[in-house]
Amino acid sequence: MTTKKLLTAVSVAAVVALTACGDRGADNAAQPETEAAKDAAGDQTIAAGLGDATKFAAAAKQAGLDATLTGPGPYTVLVPTDAAFDKLPAGALDILMKPEGRSDLTAVLTYHILPGTILAEDIGKAIDTGKGKTQLPTMAGGTLTATKEGDAIVLTDGAGTKAKLVNAEEKKSNGVIHRVDAVLMPSKA
Amino acid sequence: MTKFMLAAGAAALAIASPGLAEKGQNKGGGNKDHAAHAQQAKGGGGQKARGGEKARHQQRMAQNENNRGKGSDKARADNRRDDKGSKNVRVENDRGRGRDDVRVAKVGDNRGQGHGNDDVRVARGHNDKIRVLDRDFNDVDVRFAPRWSGNGMRLGFINGCPPGLAKKGTGCMPPGLAKKLVGTRVAPAILSNGLVGPYRLWYRDDDDFMYRWDDDYIYRIRRDGDLIDAMFPFTNRDFYYYPVGAAYPDYFNYYNVPYQYRSFYPDGGDYLYRYGDGAIYMVDPGTQMISGIAALLTGAPLAVGQPLPPTYGVYNVPMAYRTTYFDSPNAMYRYNDGYIYRVDPTTMLVTAVIDALV
Repeated sequence: MTTKKLLTAVSVAAVVALTACGDRGADNAAQPETEAAKDAAGDQTIAAGLGDATKFAAAAKQAGLDATLTGPGPYTVLVPTDAAFDKLPAGALDILMKPEGRSDLTAVLTYHILPGTILAEDIGKAIDTGKGKTQLPTMAGGTLTATKEGDAIVLTDGAGTKAKLVNAEEKKSNGVIHRVDAVLMPSKA
Repeated sequence: MTKFMLAAGAAALAIASPGLAEKGQNKGGGNKDHAAHAQQAKGGGGQKARGGEKARHQQRMAQNENNRGKGSDKARADNRRDDKGSKNVRVENDRGRGRDDVRVAKVGDNRGQGHGNDDVRVARGHNDKIRVLDRDFNDVDVRFAPRWSGNGMRLGFINGCPPGLAKKGTGCMPPGLAKKLVGTRVAPAILSNGLVGPYRLWYRDDDDFMYRWDDDYIYRIRRDGDLIDAMFPFTNRDFYYYPVGAAYPDYFNYYNVPYQYRSFYPDGGDYLYRYGDGAIYMVDPGTQMISGIAALLTGAPLAVGQPLPPTYGVYNVPMAYRTTYFDSPNAMYRYNDGYIYRVDPTTMLVTAVIDALV
């Protein structure tokens, strides 16, 4: 069986099924779609794919979020690069990395985790239809505003800090990673 | 199958009183374990905001809850043969009055998680004009704000309760008071106050228990005697999580993982899994300390009949579902907390909820 062929059948069947009655074509839809997704995303989880973002990885571990990032998700994770963490005011990360800073650290990190799988292309489309900007929900509860600067997508936090998506997105088995060049901070909007 | 679904839809429409009703088992199709449930989503209409975070949420969720069943809706779901085993199809007929004839065949996906059950939820909306009173769901108090000063970052909670203390009205309820409520008969006002919005999917009434809430807590109530069996604070405080290393408050330490995540985080394993404040926590059974966060939930008020929150303008459907649930002029799809929601692009109202998990 060819995945492509089946996928076509799946798509057609799904559309038909959503709008009309009866089409046995959806019968075996689950399997190929799963396979296709795995092919596209690989088996690697977000946690395993953090790569050289050592500070984010350490912070996630400190906050106990490493389990989340290996879990089923799916999440969209904005991963600040190590250089992004270096841009924080002196001592800020140290405070957050202390045991007493854990709750706040968790708040900061979850502000970088979004529900579902959001590709750069998806943000771009929403910006275009939203007349130049769109909002994004975060797990922490606050929202981010997305705009474009040239071709780049820029996210702005409640305090006005901007973080640019700096690398191509990395699809993972439980979501997607976008590298960003600044640490976003929750604050009262 | 179609016949059954029509019957189920009619049954759901016939139920006028509040309360969640799970209807029917599909015995047809010739495949073992196929089951279909039709749910009449509760029409709790007219919930009054009584102050507090939950009430605000509830008000937002309930704006459109009172447009219940008129007309002759037909809601049907395909339950097709699947070599992997059982497949559940649920049809949620929600206050339907409109003219939609919804038919959704779910393309299951387990992403290698080894689940044999494909779960389909189809929910019907309606085409009534909805008076949208409040589309801003981000008005909950911010409990945490980092403030920068010459000495670096100052951290602190604003208007929040410290770990272990549930927000109670204008203050924080001490654990002892909450603990005393367990085992007592629930107040009638709470008993009649069913969950709304996503929480209705997260905590589902069954033969033994009902879930109800007030401004501060979600209560698990034993049907036999209407006794409070367990409770936990209804709070999903922005920017607030129980810190890893802290003790999980013992007085609401019971298995309360939202329904859709239970297969991933079952009871009785290496960890106790506990939901609270927008996260599923991993609690060490020995020390009762929180050792990690297993999953994050937004608690955003996506629900059938409700307007899509404005922050959900960006398509976010998981990769495995994108070939099935893609935005078109006729429908938009958004993922949240384990479900994919179908949205009418014209009204921007959520019209269906489909299991997606996870």
